[in-house]
Amino acid sequence: MQHVLSYLKPYRKWMIVAWIFMLIELFVELWQPLLMEKIIDHGVISKNLHIIWTWGAVMLGTSLLAFASGIANSFVAAHVGQQYGFDLRKHLFEKIQSFSFANFEQFSTASLITRMTNDVTQMQNMVFMSLRIMLRAPLLVVFGVVMSLFVHVQLALIFVVTVPLLLVFLIWMMNKAAAWFSVVQQALDRVNSVMRENLAGMRLIKAWMRGTYEQERFTKANETLMTRTMSVLRLIETITPVLLFVMNMAIIVILSVGRMEIHTGSATAGQVVAVVNYTTRITTALSIFTFITMAFSRARASAQRISDVFTAQVDIVDDERAHDTNIQEGEVRFDHVSFRYPNSHSFVLKDISFVVRPHETVAILGATGAGKSSLLQLIPRLYDAIEGRVLIDGIDVRQMKQESLRTYIRFVPQDILLFSGTIEDNIRFGKEDASMEDIIQAAKHAQIHETIMKFPKGYDTLIGQKGVNLSGGQKQRLSIARALVGTPKILLLDDSTSALDLKTEGKLLQALKTYTCTTFIVTQKIQTAMEADTIFLLDDGVLLAKGSHNELLQTSDLYRKMVESQFGKKGLGDVKTAT
Amino acid sequence: MLRPRHSAMMLTEKKRHAKDSIGTLRRIWSFLSDQKGRFAAVVFMVIMSSGLSLLGPYVVGKAIDTYIVTKQTDGFVFVLAILVLIYLSLSLSTFLQNYWMIQIAQRTIYLIRKQLFYHFHQLPIAFFDKRQHGELMSRITNDIENMSQTFNSTVIQVVSSMLTLVGAVCVMLWLSPLLTFVTLLIVPMMYGGMKWITNRTQKRFKEQQQNLGELNGFIEEVISGQKIVKMFSQEKRMIAQFLSKNERLKQSGFWAQTYSGFIPKLMNVLNNVSFALIAGVGGILALKGIISIGVIVIFAEYARQFTRPLNDLANQWNTLLSALAGAERVFEILDVEKEERDETEAISLPEMRGEIAFRHVFFSYDKEQEAIRDVSFSVSPGETVALVGPTGAGKTTIIQLLTRFYDPDRGHIFIDGHDSRSIKRASLRQHMAFVLQDTFLFQGTIRENIRYGRLNASDEEVEEAAKWANAHSFIMKLPNGYDTVLNQDGSGISQGQKQLLAIARAMVANPSILILDEATSNIDTMTELKIQEALGRLMNGRTCFVIAHRLNTIQNADRILVLNEGQLIEQGTHESLLEAKGFYYELYHSYLKKEEIS
Repeated sequence: MQHVLSYLKPYRKWMIVAWIFMLIELFVELWQPLLMEKIIDHGVISKNLHIIWTWGAVMLGTSLLAFASGIANSFVAAHVGQQYGFDLRKHLFEKIQSFSFANFEQFSTASLITRMTNDVTQMQNMVFMSLRIMLRAPLLVVFGVVMSLFVHVQLALIFVVTVPLLLVFLIWMMNKAAAWFSVVQQALDRVNSVMRENLAGMRLIKAWMRGTYEQERFTKANETLMTRTMSVLRLIETITPVLLFVMNMAIIVILSVGRMEIHTGSATAGQVVAVVNYTTRITTALSIFTFITMAFSRARASAQRISDVFTAQVDIVDDERAHDTNIQEGEVRFDHVSFRYPNSHSFVLKDISFVVRPHETVAILGATGAGKSSLLQLIPRLYDAIEGRVLIDGIDVRQMKQESLRTYIRFVPQDILLFSGTIEDNIRFGKEDASMEDIIQAAKHAQIHETIMKFPKGYDTLIGQKGVNLSGGQKQRLSIARALVGTPKILLLDDSTSALDLKTEGKLLQALKTYTCTTFIVTQKIQTAMEADTIFLLDDGVLLAKGSHNELLQTSDLYRKMVESQFGKKGLGDVKTAT
Repeated sequence: MLRPRHSAMMLTEKKRHAKDSIGTLRRIWSFLSDQKGRFAAVVFMVIMSSGLSLLGPYVVGKAIDTYIVTKQTDGFVFVLAILVLIYLSLSLSTFLQNYWMIQIAQRTIYLIRKQLFYHFHQLPIAFFDKRQHGELMSRITNDIENMSQTFNSTVIQVVSSMLTLVGAVCVMLWLSPLLTFVTLLIVPMMYGGMKWITNRTQKRFKEQQQNLGELNGFIEEVISGQKIVKMFSQEKRMIAQFLSKNERLKQSGFWAQTYSGFIPKLMNVLNNVSFALIAGVGGILALKGIISIGVIVIFAEYARQFTRPLNDLANQWNTLLSALAGAERVFEILDVEKEERDETEAISLPEMRGEIAFRHVFFSYDKEQEAIRDVSFSVSPGETVALVGPTGAGKTTIIQLLTRFYDPDRGHIFIDGHDSRSIKRASLRQHMAFVLQDTFLFQGTIRENIRYGRLNASDEEVEEAAKWANAHSFIMKLPNGYDTVLNQDGSGISQGQKQLLAIARAMVANPSILILDEATSNIDTMTELKIQEALGRLMNGRTCFVIAHRLNTIQNADRILVLNEGQLIEQGTHESLLEAKGFYYELYHSYLKKEEIS
């Protein structure tokens, strides 16, 4: 909380100004019952018209003064609130931009988005409100009690008992409700998750005729949600009747005490009226308490989530002595590299050494979890090796600036992600100053140009929710085109041709040969691997074998098995004869 | 309950109004069918609590007149007793109205959710093909949640606000028409002030909404694509774009928030002004003996009771309308027509041999472009048929028709000699099992996921199936074996293992017809071998349709159907098709050709 609130520091002065305006308003409101007392006691009862006129005018005047400061408060509070939201968002976004891949393992995308949108808005609202009503209600209760004691001690004595009692009751109830609310939230999550699952898996459910089964499952979750919601709401709804009852009983006590005091002459009618009036104001303020505590606990949770992001340690930063070296050749060397993911104990890459000469094409084969993607990710320093060194053109990647390192390394990840906007924007993503010719060239090489030209708007076609829906293969090719713009020196394809049919893939691989870059292709398909100069066979983090297709057929049992599994025994024969 | 809502927050909510509020209300009313008695009780309680909340201050005022100002003594205890009674009943009726209303609201929400869920299961699959489930999901979640919150409190508040308003004015008129007139002076002021503010805020809010939407959209997209941003080292550019959007939001947000901040202040000042007017004018009237001091107290009380409802009404009216709009959207889904019912004379097949024939089948999804054209073929029981062809050739469509997710536009599909349309969907699918490309797993244990194939399968049968599917060994390695809970995205097990589970699921079902849509990639070789073996066992003795992506599956098929652009262009065995040197020959050789290229 503190860290997140520290962004308020620059606006401390403005906050004080806002509070001063708020206090002016508050005191006007608190003064009003006193003025009323004067009108009744010195005006009505003493039959003095002049007093009524004067104090009536004072009441009106102060009301307008309160209004003026209220308006001023609006300006200042909005200023602080918006500036604060702006700053918080800015710093948060910058922090997230500095995140390494390891940090992204720590936070899910969805949670980062909520933190940046909902949680920031929550904090912003909290700041805005704390400058306006959040402090006002407690102050009104406290000063209301003080003022009524000031009017007449005996009359107001009842508050000393009821108000603290009610406060304890409110806080106790809110704590209880907060705990119950989280139980309701769980039930709601459950209902939504069954619903989501059913929407996503509807085809399967229909195919398997499992409607009734799912409906039973849903009904159970739905019933739990209903009963839990009902209990927590009923708990909360007892607050108001209790509050009202206690404060109304206080009025009765005040009336009784007032009657006695008036008989002895120590109190006036005006004083009784004033204290009764304070009671209703205090009641209103108290009823805002539930709202405030709820808002506050929500804001506290948001603040916690935001500060989690701020305090996350970024593990990959540029070394102070890092150079701005451009990659010239594209030679990649692994020197006894071992690697494990930050939150894991087992190594996914074990003592890997190799050299890939410039412009060479390497295919990486291996089982799931063999370490293929991890290997690729070390090259542009998305992660750092735990042991050993990764060198490009002879320079350790840790001694290069991340930006200059990645400008010439292009990665096409397994999970394809395109941005909304036009196709052109998406291809241009990696190189802002790319010409239209560059873009078309890249699209042609990625075998997507013809598809694009079939769209009515060609390269200006919008993709994503507002535009066309691309198929998996089209997306893959588009993301390859994006990587090809800007003439990469090193190209990393992480199983990014899986959805292409073999014909298209063949053309694509041919086109890639015209690029003077070192290429790594992770694949499951032997046919793709056969295109490469060298095949790396990874197994359980170990570089088991490397060589050309024919060499590996001779030397590696595992490789032979893989070929068999994909072509069948017959296929293996075919491949052999084709060779 | 009294739930002060902050106007700033209320106004930032996007307001969408229902097109047919009355119709929607009527529909919500229909959900109350079994609770109308309770609803009447709530209405009664609301009337009672509104009346009591007016009666309380009235008695207090009168008590002040009689016992405080004029110092009478008779019957004071009696008046106090009446006051206690009033306040007790007030609290009690407030509690009861909420207690019952919560039940009504939650029960209604429960029923709407339930009906919606049941309805989803009756919708044709085309409905889901056309929509993204994410969008549907957010519609349901937000709209229903919104409805739930509104019905809990807003309905009561709106009704009691109106009652209090009318009641207060009546009593005030009865007590002193002149002072009522003075008190009501603030109403035109409030109206004018609100109008002035909303005129200014509306544009600002629209602007702010737009900028906020734009910024949030940007955040969502960039963070979702953060890894790409990183890989392409575009962080600086993203920050620059972000800052300009952030700045714009700040500008519009400032004015929107400032103006909306005026509203509570306006309410305050009007409260205070009316209080001052009542004190001043009331004081003069009291001095002249026209009214008593007690009446001033009553008016001061009422004025507070009525500016608040007036303020609340405006806010809550909007909440109510937006909830109605949400309800309308939910009802829109409920109005989507259900899947065609099985024909009344449709039959059930207790047994199925698995003989299939397509006769001149035509089908299109959108009535424009035909997905398949004039497709005819027959499959005998126990035969394995591979469907081969480029993307969009119509392979999936054939499966969709076979399973009756869609029915042909023209032509017939015969299963065991019966037209598929004359067989009940349930009965048809009961004899089919599926291993689909997206091996959808449900949140639940592995055991539950396998048992999905046949719900009455015993634990032994489940494990037996898993063994046959080569899944048993990896399941036993999981921390809780068969009771390991899978997340919805199935994280924790690999793609290949998911396939094995899907095979086990189909194995448990013991179908006559098996439909396979092979996964294309991301499966490692060792698991792949296991899958092949398991599939071999599963396919044995059943009619199988395979959408094939791998050469060896194709080669092992009894027959290959080659599709291109919606037409069945070739069929035969692997060898015969190769000999024919047609489309299949080309397709097959593109697998191998690359060897020659390099």
